Amino acid sequence: MRVPGLGQLFRWRYARPLVQTPLLIVSVVMILHGLFGPSLAPKNLATTLSWLHFRGALVLVLLCAGNFFCLACPFMLVRQFARRFFKPRFDWPPALRNKWISVGLFVLILFTYELFDLWSSPWWTAWLILAYFFTVLLVDGLFKHASFCKFVCPIGQFNFVASTLSPFEVKVRDQEVCTSCHTKDCIRGRREPSSDLVVIRGCELALFQPRKVGNMDCTFCLDCVHACPHDNVGILSRLPGSELLVDPLRSGIGYFSHRKDLAALAIVFTFGALLNAFGMVSPVYAVERWLGGILHLNSEAPVLGVIFACFLILEPILLLGLAAWWMRSWAGSPRGLLPLMVRYTYGLVPMGFGIWLAHYGFHFLSGLYTVIPVTQSAVASLGFSFLGQPRWTLRGLPANMVQVLEIGFLLLGFACSLAVTYSLADEDSPAKPVRAFIPWAGVCLVLWAASVWLMFQPMEMRAMLMSG
Amino acid sequence: MSCPLSRAWRTAVGFALVAALLATGCSKPEAPQQAITVDHEIRPLPAHAGRAILTLRLTGGARGAVTGAHIAIEADMTHAGMAPAFGEAKEIEPGHYQSPLVFQMAGDWVILLHITLADGKKLERQFDVRGVEPN
Repeated sequence: MRVPGLGQLFRWRYARPLVQTPLLIVSVVMILHGLFGPSLAPKNLATTLSWLHFRGALVLVLLCAGNFFCLACPFMLVRQFARRFFKPRFDWPPALRNKWISVGLFVLILFTYELFDLWSSPWWTAWLILAYFFTVLLVDGLFKHASFCKFVCPIGQFNFVASTLSPFEVKVRDQEVCTSCHTKDCIRGRREPSSDLVVIRGCELALFQPRKVGNMDCTFCLDCVHACPHDNVGILSRLPGSELLVDPLRSGIGYFSHRKDLAALAIVFTFGALLNAFGMVSPVYAVERWLGGILHLNSEAPVLGVIFACFLILEPILLLGLAAWWMRSWAGSPRGLLPLMVRYTYGLVPMGFGIWLAHYGFHFLSGLYTVIPVTQSAVASLGFSFLGQPRWTLRGLPANMVQVLEIGFLLLGFACSLAVTYSLADEDSPAKPVRAFIPWAGVCLVLWAASVWLMFQPMEMRAMLMSG
Repeated sequence: MSCPLSRAWRTAVGFALVAALLATGCSKPEAPQQAITVDHEIRPLPAHAGRAILTLRLTGGARGAVTGAHIAIEADMTHAGMAPAFGEAKEIEPGHYQSPLVFQMAGDWVILLHITLADGKKLERQFDVRGVEPN
C-alpha cells in the first residue's frame, strides 16, 4: 500500500469495482462465445480463457502475490448491483458455518469436469459460468454478509487454501493502534456519527483484523482497508506459508487443528491436485478399463466415482493414518491419531499447490498465445477485420522451458511441505523432532514422487474416458 | 399498487426466459452445401501419436470423383492450448487426396477440412479421430 500509484489505487474506495469491471466484461464475452461461438474448444473463448488462461493466471498470481482474483471477482460485482434491489434477510444457518458444503462442491466440480469433459465443451463451460452467477445471486440474495464466499464458493476455497502460501497478506501495520481503537470499524463498518448508518462496510467474512492470522477466508476485498479510520490496515509482505507453521486462535476461523472441515478442504486441495492431473495422462484410461472390467461396469460415472474415492478418501486415510500411527509409536506424541492427521494435513498444502502450479502452469504457459487467434477469430466472426486473420500457429513457451518450470514448482512445493511438517514435528516432539518428522516426510515424498511420475507420463486427452 | 419485489422477479424471470430462448433457439443458419461427400481414412489404424497419413475421397453425386480441389487440413485436440497440426492434401489420383499429419499427443482429435473446389466454391467439413493411442 506504500507503493506509489498502486497504494493510492487500493486505498481508493472504488478500486474493487474498477478491477472487477473488466473481468465482468470478459465473463460476459466468454458466456456469449460459449453459447453462440464455435463448438470446438480450442477455437472458443469460453474454453480457452477458462481452462487455460484463468486457471494458470490464478495460480501464478496466488504464488507471486496473493488472493487478487477474489478481489477482482466479477460475481461479486453483480451481487453488489443486485443487492441494491434485493436486501438479504437471513443469517447463514449456524449448522452450515463450515466448509463442508464448499468441500462437496469442490469435489463435484472436479468430478463433473472429468465426467462431462468440461474442457472440451464451450457450451457447458458457458453454462457453468452462468450457473455460478445464478448461485451467487441466489445465496447472497437470501443470506447476509459474504455467505457465498465464505461457505459455498469452491473457487474461493481453492484460493483461500492456496493463498496461505502467498507472499502478501491483508493485515494490520501496528497492533498498538488497534488496541487503542474504540470503533473497530474494520469489522463493524464505518458509520455515520449521526444516524449509525454503515457508510463503509466492515469485513463480511467475520475476520477481525487485530486477531486475523494469515490469508484463510480473506478475499482481499479491501473493505477493512477502507473502513479503518487510522489507515492501519494494508497489503503487507510476509514469509509465504508462515501461517501454516503456527496454530493460534484465528479470528473467524478458530484453530486450524480443531477444524476437520478445513482439513478435509486441504485434503481435497492436495490429493485433488494429483487426481486432476491423473485425468490428463494415458494411464487413467487403462485404469478405467481395468476397473470397468472387474466391476462389470460400462458406464463412466461409477468407475470415475471409484477413482475419486480412491484418490480423495482411501489414499489420504491410508497415507495420513499410517504416518500418524508411525509418528505416535516412534516419537510418542500425546495427540490421538485423528488430531494428528488433521494437524499435519495442512503441511501437505504446499505440495498440493506445487502440483496445481505444475499442471495449470503447463497449460497456461504452453498455450499462452492461443488466446490471440481465438480472439481474432471471434472478432472476425462479427464482421470486423481490424485484428487481422487468426494466426492459429501461435502457441506458447517451448515444451522444454515449461517442463523445467514444472519441475521447479514441484520441488518448491515439496521443499515447503518438508519445512512446514518439520516445524510442526519440532513443536510436537521437541525431544525427538526427526523421528516425528520422518513419517510425514515420507508422505511428502510419496506425493512428490507420484506428481513427478505423472508429469512424465504421455498426456492424453479424450472427450470420453470410457471410449476405446 | 405494485410490489417492487414481484416486479424485480418478473424482470428476472423475463431475462432468464429470453436467455434460454437465445441459448437454445438461436443458431447461425447453415449455408446450403453441394452434395459432395467426403470419405476419409487414416493410416495406421488405430491411429497413434506421431505420423499418420490421411486419405480423403471426394465424390459429387452423379459427377463422380471431384477433381482439382484444394484441401487445407487442420487437426485440433479437444482441449484448448494444445498444438494443432496443419497440412495440405495433394490429389494422388482423380478424387483422391492425401496428406501426412502429425498427432503430437494421444487422445481425441478433431480434423477440420477447408475445401476449395475447382470452381472456387468453398466447403467446410469436420470429423473426429477418437482415441489416438500413445506411442
